[in-house]
Amino acid sequence: MLVKIGDWLDERFSWREVWEAVFMRKVPHVNWFYTLGSATLFVAIMQGVTGILLTLYYVPTPDHAYDSVVYITTQLPFGWLIRGLHHWGASATVVLTVLHLLRVFYFGAYKYPREATWITGVILLLVVIGFGFTGYLLPWDQKSFWATTVGTQIAGLAPFVGDWILRIARGGRDISAVTLARFFGTHVWILPATLAALIGIHLYLVIRIGITAVPKKDE
Amino acid sequence: MDKSEDKQLGRRNFMKVAIAGIGGLIGAALGLPAIPYIMGPALQKESDDWIQLGSISKVELNIPTLFKKTIETQTGWINTEEEISAYVLTSNGQDYVVMSNVCTHLACRVRWIPEKDSFFCPCHNGVFAKDGTVVAGPPPRPLDRFESKVEDGVIFIKRG
Repeated sequence: MLVKIGDWLDERFSWREVWEAVFMRKVPHVNWFYTLGSATLFVAIMQGVTGILLTLYYVPTPDHAYDSVVYITTQLPFGWLIRGLHHWGASATVVLTVLHLLRVFYFGAYKYPREATWITGVILLLVVIGFGFTGYLLPWDQKSFWATTVGTQIAGLAPFVGDWILRIARGGRDISAVTLARFFGTHVWILPATLAALIGIHLYLVIRIGITAVPKKDE
Repeated sequence: MDKSEDKQLGRRNFMKVAIAGIGGLIGAALGLPAIPYIMGPALQKESDDWIQLGSISKVELNIPTLFKKTIETQTGWINTEEEISAYVLTSNGQDYVVMSNVCTHLACRVRWIPEKDSFFCPCHNGVFAKDGTVVAGPPPRPLDRFESKVEDGVIFIKRG
């Protein structure tokens, strides 16, 4: 029965060809460092799933943000788990992304013909940092408020355009309801859309070009 | 040659099973807690305390009388005030019936129209008699009744 459904779908989607290209592709003999990219993808998906679950209850306004986070953490069944995974997964994503980048750098895997993979990867790192920066404000507690005060103030120190950047980031001169709303919107719409598009290109290139072998001593 | 190929297949199958097993475990570890997490607020029990509606002295014989009571409730992380409306009816001044003003059709609020001597629901023209029985329109059953008691001339109801 399952085989029949698979055949029916394959006739129309050719999904087996795609499956072969993605999962049955030839890879050189490599080591455990090559799993860092997959690990990064895994935590990114985890962040997506737990993040979507959090939006079921979280409300991004100054009068409700903190209370809704406390409600998630203390009142809801397994709310502590969902939020905990998202909280620790955030740090894990940054760490793994950087480790993955270092692996690619030290193994020389960014060279021709993989420059585009490297460039999309570097932009992905910036997106991940953007996630961290915007997500940090959302609990709306003392730590997140003052961290964002400091973070946007640092952005304000840039020569010539600093004040302009600071005002755009905060949505005005001070951190307010506007700041919280735009950080939330950036965190759940702009950045995820960017992330998904870039991961799509990044993975396409990894599969299309194939991965590098471990460099030899004389290379 | 045959032997090594067997070995290759064994390894491949082992990896398949391991990936499916670990993947299933991770999926269950995240997927199963998600269910109570989503359903949590829906499963919360409402309190079954007696709610004091007010003095029955204003209830006249055979005329449904509207009582309104504001109670404090907590929904999610917000403490709000909720207004409960109920019609109290008595035919002998001894026994009291407390009816919900929620239409049994699709939960709009019904209103007592003295001139027509009936309850009227504006949403789909449901009509109920003074004792709550359906007279006309789509409502499938009479108006719901609250469990009630009278103590020292004050009427109490229980929700639920």
